[in-house]
Amino acid sequence: MDTKKIKLPHGIPGHNLGQIEREVPADEPPAWPVNDELKHVGKRVKRTDAEAKVTGAAKFTSDIQLPGMLYGRMLRSDYPHAKIRSIDMSAAEKHPGVYAVHIFKNVVGMAQPADDDAAGEYPDIKFAGQPIAGVAALTTEIAEEALDLIKVDYEYLPFVVDLEEAQKPEAPLVFTTNVEQDDAGGGGGGDTGLKTVGNVRGPSTSSFYGGPRGDLEKGFEEADTILEQTYRTQVQTHCSLETHGVVVDWKPDNVTIYASTQNTKNVRDEFAEVFDLPKSQVRVIQEYMGGGFGAKHSLGNFGVMAGYLAKKSGRPIKLMLDRREEHISSGNRPNSIHYLKIGARKDGKLTAIQQRSYGTAGVGLGAGVGRIAQIMYESPNFSTEQYDVFTHAGPGAAWRAPGNVQGCYGLEQAMDELAEKLNLDPIALRDVTDTSEIRKVERHRGAETFKWSRRKLPASDPGLIKKGLGMAQSHWPRIVHIDSTAEVRAFRDGAVEIRSAVQDIGTGTKTVLSQVVAEELGLKPEDITVRIGDTLFPDGPPSGGSIVTGSITPPARNAAYKLKLQLFDQVASKLETDASKLAVDDGQIMSTEDPSKKIAFKEALKEMRTGQISATASRSDDYGGFMVGNAIAYGGLGSVQFAEVSVDTETGFVKVEKIVAVHSCGRPINITQIENQINGGVIQGLGYALYEDRVMDNETGHQMNSNFDQYKMPLSLEIPDIEILIVEDYSGRSSTDAYGIGEPANIATAAAVANAVYNAIGTRIFEIPITPEKVLRALNKV
Amino acid sequence: MIPSEFEYCRAGSVEEALDLLAQKGPDAKILAGGHSLLPAMKLRLNSPGAVIDISGIGELSYIKEEGSHLVIGACTTHGDIAKSTLLSEKIPMIVEAAAEIGDVQVRNKGTIGGSLAHADPAADWPASLLAGEAEIVLASSSGERTVAAVDFFQGLFTTDLGENELITEIRLPIPDAYTKSTYVKFEQPASRFAIVGCAASITRSNGSCDKVRVAFTGVSSTPFRDQAVEQALEGQAPSDDNIEAAAEKAAMSVEVMGDHFASQEYRKHLAKVYARRALQAVLS
Repeated sequence: MDTKKIKLPHGIPGHNLGQIEREVPADEPPAWPVNDELKHVGKRVKRTDAEAKVTGAAKFTSDIQLPGMLYGRMLRSDYPHAKIRSIDMSAAEKHPGVYAVHIFKNVVGMAQPADDDAAGEYPDIKFAGQPIAGVAALTTEIAEEALDLIKVDYEYLPFVVDLEEAQKPEAPLVFTTNVEQDDAGGGGGGDTGLKTVGNVRGPSTSSFYGGPRGDLEKGFEEADTILEQTYRTQVQTHCSLETHGVVVDWKPDNVTIYASTQNTKNVRDEFAEVFDLPKSQVRVIQEYMGGGFGAKHSLGNFGVMAGYLAKKSGRPIKLMLDRREEHISSGNRPNSIHYLKIGARKDGKLTAIQQRSYGTAGVGLGAGVGRIAQIMYESPNFSTEQYDVFTHAGPGAAWRAPGNVQGCYGLEQAMDELAEKLNLDPIALRDVTDTSEIRKVERHRGAETFKWSRRKLPASDPGLIKKGLGMAQSHWPRIVHIDSTAEVRAFRDGAVEIRSAVQDIGTGTKTVLSQVVAEELGLKPEDITVRIGDTLFPDGPPSGGSIVTGSITPPARNAAYKLKLQLFDQVASKLETDASKLAVDDGQIMSTEDPSKKIAFKEALKEMRTGQISATASRSDDYGGFMVGNAIAYGGLGSVQFAEVSVDTETGFVKVEKIVAVHSCGRPINITQIENQINGGVIQGLGYALYEDRVMDNETGHQMNSNFDQYKMPLSLEIPDIEILIVEDYSGRSSTDAYGIGEPANIATAAAVANAVYNAIGTRIFEIPITPEKVLRALNKV
Repeated sequence: MIPSEFEYCRAGSVEEALDLLAQKGPDAKILAGGHSLLPAMKLRLNSPGAVIDISGIGELSYIKEEGSHLVIGACTTHGDIAKSTLLSEKIPMIVEAAAEIGDVQVRNKGTIGGSLAHADPAADWPASLLAGEAEIVLASSSGERTVAAVDFFQGLFTTDLGENELITEIRLPIPDAYTKSTYVKFEQPASRFAIVGCAASITRSNGSCDKVRVAFTGVSSTPFRDQAVEQALEGQAPSDDNIEAAAEKAAMSVEVMGDHFASQEYRKHLAKVYARRALQAVLS
């Protein structure tokens, strides 16, 4: 492969900005300078779809209406553990207005026996809410009436829904054989090939950062101080405004699926596999999306059911989950019991970290406390053991920084406590133990903005309502999805379009792509039509792992660059110059040697020999290669968050007064949208810290608060002043050098709030959510 | 989330509503603002055969002074009550309670009569109506009767309202000019219903508390007047110590509720804190 050497910006402006020379493929575009010298990238460009969204013109999956469309609904088990002896669909099938019925032969989205020879006629019921069958009818009302007519003969079995009860030897077993799950939640537990004893599977002991290191015993011997604590986190349910769902339109040679999904490509592939269709005959469209935080990557049981109902009825099927179904069946952030033992020397250097966790993803895999303790601080000796515990409850799923949010809550409180033990400021302790340059800059810029120096000794605020300040930090890997492709087209009338199957789940991917293409072509973002979220276009990355911007913006730029070179070739002779001497700026193509030789971009397109020209590019390897495989880039996405709280020591009520969130994501592309994402992540973090909690009834195995009337989400009244600092962090690893922000935004918030609550009241709360009653109990007032 | 089938009837007048009630029998339910009944129907906790809609009866929506009483029509919305200057001047705790209910949308549709008939143990209204010694007027096709609020609330979602009766009016005696009142609340964060709601109304003369009325909602399955707190303060000069001592007696005589958000112990503690906060606010 031909290569060339280019110099790219490297470092943090205002701190250590310089240049780095890298050898890159010869067809890569030249390096962009830092954002200050660019026109559209790194600016506050308005969302391309802002008007469509606020006026209601944007059509979400739940808005799709097709001629002859029927409505699908699913029957779910009211019992958490049972065998099904028989199912009688006859009355439902005959119900007027019902067009199709279907019984599940197997269910997806949960752990499956490794060797599946014990399967009966119907899948065993393993949680209250597990889907059994479905119907399609003229209206949702008729479909629900028909569900009432389905007769299921159950053999009831004992069940367990509590994390600690499930670990006892006498607990009813969820699985009697070893199990695996392809689409596990990714929280740190759930490695393949692990054994299950009772309801406990594992431990997972390694990650893509490697396995255990050093000698723990020796590490703890070398410590001057050892901290041992146990932290507990709750189950948080996915509460996207738009629930999971699809519309399936099955035509003879082409199935079109409108899906509320984070991964159009995967929904296509799964549908093709389930129904044994060529991928070319399955099209998935996601034009607008009402939120997705990790649980919307798959076709899901609802998608499989909608497919069968469409196939059987010959009509389009809409199947959207209702809010209760969303809470009980569509995925959640598993809970955790997180044990940490940390050894430190007097100067703050860590000598050993030992971590063990138990968490339940219900009938799924992938609980855990992530990888943050392994990677964020220097400690020569480290081990982790992360166990999945099965319970008869709805499956966990990926949830914005899986595992790491749970892990950060424990680790960052431990560091806060360790700082106090060592008589160090929490920021000073991290300056000693954390080698990340970006987080160091973030800590100190954040501390200045937040006025960290006003922090007082714990519980020293006089009066009944006490203020407290706290901070916490996090790490998220730079994950890249190589199978990411973009096509840029230009039309003779001057139109420019970018196409990819990548979806915009509300994060602003459409706008980001318009900025990148506009920057490369010397046009304005509004000149670029962005067509994405459709598998007719080249495959894009899934919207998970904060990987979209880092994966799709380099091919978008590279495709635009290739298209530009084609255009230069076509107009060079007209401008009486060489194509290599041409450049674009402000809607013009001009000679770099003689600026009078120029033509408007739109006029140039009229010179094309064909009605359209097109260029396609896929994500190339990172400049300088990857750290792990072809997926994990060097460096990380650091973040530091600061919280100010007030605590009413008579009622235990915690009010978050202010958050300062300091983040990096390589080269920022759209400042406003990054701020939007950080706001969202912080708000979700506040819900996690203070409110959200799936409450299970041990007597019935049902979730007791599967509605917004009882499951508390933060609303406008609870949202504090959130101040955001974005730190540019150039590393010269791709043609855009940009990365995502979704997950980092959510990781540190709960720990920062917990540390602030400790600073306010002088007593630590080891379990979230930090409810008023827990605060009063910690204060021994109840 | 879909109610079972029911017959819908719309009443144009109180008389018509009462006729319909008599005609449809015990299987009928009255619909006013719909903020209690409709969710219950959607969850199928209640599946009435007939729903009699009284929301169009204009004659049931009013707030006025009538002799020694302020009277509120049963179909008056929480929002109208929250905005009433007449109530704000004479019995501020009523206005404060109205303003604490739900959100703007709920207050604009929900009615005082509907809320009382539903008798949610965590509803806001009962505390201030008990502390204000309200009376509730109930009409049926055979006549009208008036019940004291203290006798009206009988238990969890249970009241003295008969099967063919309709709440038509809430009557509040206008207190002595030296009376101050307030309603304070610690809310369930998701539903914003009361975990503890405390209303206090105190009439003072010559530096001592002549008449003390303190009532709670949310604490027990039935809202109640807390006479132990009242008696501890009546005849006393208001001091921090007296207030504290009275508040300490809160919720001693009732079975306190507990749930996954607030245990029995914690609710009891909050009742004392909110009794003290209410008394302090009134006596400051």
